[in-house]
Amino acid sequence: MIQKISAPVSVSFTFDSKKRKIFPKWIVWSGRLYPVVKIGLHHTYRQGRILYHVFSVTSKNLFFRLVLNTESLHWKLEEISDGLPD
Amino acid sequence: MVYPTNLVFNPKSSTMMHIDLNSCFATVEQQANPLLRGKPIAIAAYTTPSGCILAPSVEAKEHGIKTGMRVRDGKLLYPGLIVLPTDPEKYRNVHVSLRKILRDYTNDFTPKSIDEFVLSFDGYPILAKNSMRQIAEQIKQRIKDEIGEWLTVSVGIAPNRFLAKLASNLRKPDGLDEINKSNFLEIYSKITLTDLSGIKARNAARLAYAGIYSVTDFYKADIRTLKAAFSSINGYYWYLRLRGWEIDDFEFGRKSYGNSYALPKPLITPEELSPILSKLVEKMGSRLRRADYKARGIHVSIVYRDWSFWHKGISFPKVLFDSRDIYKKAFKIMCSAPYKKPVRELAVSCFNLLKSDFSQLELFEDVIKKESLVKAIDRVNEYWGDFIIIPARMVNAKGAVPDRIAFGGVKELEEFINNH
Repeated sequence: MIQKISAPVSVSFTFDSKKRKIFPKWIVWSGRLYPVVKIGLHHTYRQGRILYHVFSVTSKNLFFRLVLNTESLHWKLEEISDGLPD
Repeated sequence: MVYPTNLVFNPKSSTMMHIDLNSCFATVEQQANPLLRGKPIAIAAYTTPSGCILAPSVEAKEHGIKTGMRVRDGKLLYPGLIVLPTDPEKYRNVHVSLRKILRDYTNDFTPKSIDEFVLSFDGYPILAKNSMRQIAEQIKQRIKDEIGEWLTVSVGIAPNRFLAKLASNLRKPDGLDEINKSNFLEIYSKITLTDLSGIKARNAARLAYAGIYSVTDFYKADIRTLKAAFSSINGYYWYLRLRGWEIDDFEFGRKSYGNSYALPKPLITPEELSPILSKLVEKMGSRLRRADYKARGIHVSIVYRDWSFWHKGISFPKVLFDSRDIYKKAFKIMCSAPYKKPVRELAVSCFNLLKSDFSQLELFEDVIKKESLVKAIDRVNEYWGDFIIIPARMVNAKGAVPDRIAFGGVKELEEFINNH
């Protein structure tokens, strides 16, 4: 099931300067910690002057769409899914 | 003009490559969300039962789900079908990443749509050290390494664009095939006329009337037969295409800008339709001005709930660039529709485009002032996001006319890439 959400979320984010790789390590949402195991896709879009980075990531069995507002540097959780039909 | 009529299959080695991202929208969604991989999913314009499926995944296609089907029909074929709305920004980003990879191999490449590219390697030094097949394998691997491991492309190689596309369609997903002087007859014997891009039922019937029933017949037919079958120069073009000679190396320029919207509610009167028309005009107008164009013609078309269709286009002596002026003309055209029936789809477009290099001044209106005002509004909308400043009549059209990717065209992608 896919659920659209619009909630602030805590994200731990790392940058490896040697590999030049970025990675959201874990997120805390609704009082629970979810370690990120995979980035499916990273893409960007603009809304007016603001650039948003979208990270489509999965924990063990949940998908999260995380969006970083590059002006405020705040994260938002926009979607979760368990990959099952409605 | 005298055309060569005794051509053999083009003997030159293959230098054209056609790359097709398999089940593009669905594969990109599966790339983004690994929990969807290996499952039948479909991307639809609307996820409601009457929404139209735009892209089924490879797994959904195995259950008979096809592009153009209604969501309800897809779910009848496979009740566990996962239906997702489109996410154009995601697909455009993947398209741009693909472009970046392809640019490393040749400057002579043409995106044919969001998921199709044609590359020419004619005269490129890379062919001195690598075969076309090696280049294709490298590109396939780089797509997996640099964009996403779930993405697969079918690659076709041939001496001309048409046969390269045909070769890319031979095996899906993840194909890599070549059509050349040594195997073309064998491949032609295995496919049907309607497998050829550009030959569907009506053209197949024309060919059957001329005694052509298979691709091999088509290849063997002489020019006179083909010209008679198509009643035009197209017969000669097909003669060249099937022999591997290039006839499709041209691009159509931009001739119009347009936006359309399928209404979720059946609205009838011009007053009810006015907010939607206003939003369509605002979107179209800002795209027109961003590309530095003005227009002399406006066209409105309406598809009604009973599938009847009405349209009207008018050319004007005055050039139009201000959305307010475009709206006034479009509204007048819409009001001239003779039917008062529930509307299914409303579309507006502008044509007779002119580059806005200079402005025709007028006696009773300050055109320069108006241009400056429109530019200022566009700048505010660009800075704060589209539709920050809107006409009051558009207030009720909030959320209508979402972002979409056009089928079979890349002109709107040019706008995206230029603005990126």
